[in-house]
Amino acid sequence: MFTANTTLMLVATFLPVLGALVLLLVPKDQRRVFEIGSLLIMIASLLLSLPFWFGYDRASDAVQWAGAWNWIPALGVKFSVGMDGISLLLWLLTTFIGPIAIACSFSAILERHKEYYIWMLVLQTAMLGVFITQDMFLFYLFWEVMLVPMYFLIAIWGGPQKLYAAIKLFLYTLAGSVLMLVALLAIYFLQHQTTGVYDFSLASFQAMAPVIAQQSKSYQTLMALAFFVGFAIKVPMFPFHTWLPDAHVQAPTAGSVILAAILLKMGTYGFVRFLLPIMPTATKELLPWFIGLSLIGIIYGALVAMIQKDMKKLVAYSSVSHLGLCMLGLFALNPYGIKGGLFQMINHGISTSGLFLAVGIVYERRHTRMIADFGGLSKSMPIFATIFMIMTMSSIGLPLLNGFIGEGVILMGSFQAFPWAAVVATLGIILGAAYMLWMFQRVMFGPITEVNEKMEDLNLREILYFAPLVVAAFWIGLYPGPIMAVMDAPVRKLVEQVTPGFHAAQDLAVKQAIAAKLGMQGMAAPAAHHDAAPAGHEAAPAGHAAPHAEPAHGAPAQGGGHQ
Amino acid sequence: MTGFSQGLLDALLRDTHLILPQLFLMTVATLMLWPGDLMFSRAEKHKWAPITLLVLAITAVLVTRTTEGEGFSRMFRMDGLTRGFQMLCVLGCAGAVALSVRLLDSLKQQTVEYYALILFSLSGMLFLCGASDLISIYFSVELMAICIYILVAYLRDRATSVEAGMKYFLLGAFSSGILVYGISLLYGAAGGTTTNLADLNQALALAPKSSSLLVFSGVLMVLVGMGFKVAAVPFHMWSPDAYEGAPTPITTLMATAPKAAGLAAILRVFGTGFHGVSSDWVLPLSYIAGASMILGNIAAVNQQSMKRLLAYSSIAHVGYMLLGVLSGDPQAGAQAVWLYMAIYIVMNTGAFAVVIYLQGQGEGERIEDFKGLGRKRPVLAFAMMVFLLSLAGIPPLVGFFGKFYLFKLAIEQGYVTLTVLALLTSAVSAYYYLGVVSQMYFREPEGEAIPMGAASVFIVTLACILVLVGTAFGPWLLDWAGKIFLA
Repeated sequence: MFTANTTLMLVATFLPVLGALVLLLVPKDQRRVFEIGSLLIMIASLLLSLPFWFGYDRASDAVQWAGAWNWIPALGVKFSVGMDGISLLLWLLTTFIGPIAIACSFSAILERHKEYYIWMLVLQTAMLGVFITQDMFLFYLFWEVMLVPMYFLIAIWGGPQKLYAAIKLFLYTLAGSVLMLVALLAIYFLQHQTTGVYDFSLASFQAMAPVIAQQSKSYQTLMALAFFVGFAIKVPMFPFHTWLPDAHVQAPTAGSVILAAILLKMGTYGFVRFLLPIMPTATKELLPWFIGLSLIGIIYGALVAMIQKDMKKLVAYSSVSHLGLCMLGLFALNPYGIKGGLFQMINHGISTSGLFLAVGIVYERRHTRMIADFGGLSKSMPIFATIFMIMTMSSIGLPLLNGFIGEGVILMGSFQAFPWAAVVATLGIILGAAYMLWMFQRVMFGPITEVNEKMEDLNLREILYFAPLVVAAFWIGLYPGPIMAVMDAPVRKLVEQVTPGFHAAQDLAVKQAIAAKLGMQGMAAPAAHHDAAPAGHEAAPAGHAAPHAEPAHGAPAQGGGHQ
Repeated sequence: MTGFSQGLLDALLRDTHLILPQLFLMTVATLMLWPGDLMFSRAEKHKWAPITLLVLAITAVLVTRTTEGEGFSRMFRMDGLTRGFQMLCVLGCAGAVALSVRLLDSLKQQTVEYYALILFSLSGMLFLCGASDLISIYFSVELMAICIYILVAYLRDRATSVEAGMKYFLLGAFSSGILVYGISLLYGAAGGTTTNLADLNQALALAPKSSSLLVFSGVLMVLVGMGFKVAAVPFHMWSPDAYEGAPTPITTLMATAPKAAGLAAILRVFGTGFHGVSSDWVLPLSYIAGASMILGNIAAVNQQSMKRLLAYSSIAHVGYMLLGVLSGDPQAGAQAVWLYMAIYIVMNTGAFAVVIYLQGQGEGERIEDFKGLGRKRPVLAFAMMVFLLSLAGIPPLVGFFGKFYLFKLAIEQGYVTLTVLALLTSAVSAYYYLGVVSQMYFREPEGEAIPMGAASVFIVTLACILVLVGTAFGPWLLDWAGKIFLA
């Protein structure tokens, strides 16, 4: 049924919830047991997940470590799991953030420890589950389950408006996902009509893409919109973002960290995994709208962030802006754009977690998050100031740090697809640098007040939970290759699903360009002509209309035509 | 003459096995009233609850053993649909009986008639599940409902209880009038030949065009009458008042067993009898379903009383289940409705068990009374949360599975708009269910926790486990649902 590797993956996924069941038996005044116990469980889950990074076959675009158990045969529902590179990265991001979120809660959570850590562990399993499922029914299950622990985390341990924020998060997301459920079922029946079997597997849904493309235009638009709204609320894209600032501001630090690092990624993951491969035609039809909303999100998020007086709200709105950028990359629908979007998802997870943790640090010490209450903190908290700076720089995309790579690749991709959109997005990035640096300046520099002078710098525990984020930010910034390599094959497959023949066309264009170049040289030095010819011959069987590149002037025109 | 009576006797003996459970229930209930009431003194009256439960268990066994067939001049039919819904009725009654003990102990008078009434009512429900003739449907509905009118007004010292009983009775009698008038119109439209559902289906199809208005009015009136019985909007007005005023165990009963029986009858009437004239009722019924979902869920949002909240929520749930009745494939519709109803009975009985526990402290009527339950009784509060989230249809709880199966069918049958409406209103329902959850977990408790009765502990535990793990056993649930068929 499941191979050893698949079982290990399931163990890493379900370990948190199993741990939670054990912690359930511990009496509730044992605060230390819950703190250390849940930390150890998260670390164990992280350690169990690491071998998958090394064991992943980067050359293959197949779902790896796949395993399935026939759960409800009558409905075609399987307990089917497995990962490709895209899922793997987000799955690892989740196991990576898990221990950090627990470690930052030790001093922040002052009551009802037992419930808190149990909900955190349940949430972790639900999130990990979303990334490994290969079955739509199972996916929907995990997708919805996630909401309940998050609701409790915000509503019990949140700020003054916690109940409002929690219910808003819950209802908003639920409303989006029920629409998605309808679309899921509609495709499920369409599939039954065409193939005669009931099957909820992701692969069979993706295989439906050509059939869906033949349906009426209104059908396609409605389906795509139902998926779009479900995921856009989660991302959140403008204008579905209104729950996010409330949820972020009211949530406890760890809640914000998980919300920003993982939960928002569910939405972008949904786009990559479901909307794009299942409904590429409809997506392309609606693309101007999607791009427009992404751009509005980038600019609007940045502008609103700029005027915030509350640090946490500022970071929250910066998320709206950054995820708009991710979405822009994904909707470029070319390898650079999608890779950049995925890459930026990881980056945003790291840098925004760091920023929320930093806000949590000052809030724990001063019980205020107002920017105006601070100033000159770099004098009293030098270590903190350094880490905060690294996270700020990572967030605004300074070279050498992770954010730079992601933003750069997204802009490359979106420029290929929509040059004007890339220009607007660049404006958003500049605005991003402005509001982040402005906040940093107001908080860290300037005159220091007496209260702020007494603020203690980071203690060892705090340094320890920041350290992995800092290391990751530098590591990804300096050496992004391995992460890109993991995404290569699955993104290639995705792009093929969205635009069949994309790579062949691109390869052809490249080869023609080379051929043209060599051909031009060939006029000067005829010897080079022999190299150009095979390149043209190779390209021709790829099935695309262009006749193979004959020397000299014919080729440049064709090469140009593809651009 | 002797030949005739001999034939009648033979027919009776031949058909009796179809209604063994009902006969058993009626006999036992009659014996309970006399001489059974002499068996236990007032001090020992709590012993009636286990005895009633035993009777219900035997009834359940009898229901599973009854042979299939049709009898009593084709008035009653025992088939998969009958058996499945009969089991649900017994289940619902068992839950209500087990939860009644504490309430009845607090009363001074002898309480044997309370249990006897439940058994009489149950026999009516069992008849209703299998009634295959409009006349037998009418009789069964009355037998079921009249007992419940009395039970609603059972707390005769309490004004709200009496008022609720009165209201329920008046509106119920009114709706029965409409139902029987509709039946007479259909009888006329069929040429005064039959009220049997299967024959009616053919007769209505052959009815001359000039009588189409007659058929339409008849079908509509039957729809109205049945709508009253299951409290679908706009025929729901009695239900919040009756739910609130009735003794809470009876509220539990009303929300479960009679609804199951009523839906079984609706499925049979519309699935077989009126199947041929579906153009007459599909549109009105879909409006009724949609209105029930909208009004039930929206009206529940502002309730202060827990029982009213559950009343409105049950209106909404009936709205969802009517989607199954609308299904063009009555068989699949019946299966989905049965599955939903079975799940609904489990989670609803669980939720009412918690309400009744709180009532033992003189609370539980208001939603505010739930505050701090998460601190006072963490396990109980957890169970309540599970029931509420399951009612809201949050996966992986079994309530989601029921909704999923039902809505899947509705989309397959092309009711996409209604399904979207159902799903969006169920997102609204999450709001008020979570309102209760937030009282339990986010408010500080007042007062001390009191111990819980053994029966309630058992019911809450069992229901909670079923709701938690039900989805994992989805194939079994579907297997059971697969046994529901309309012969």
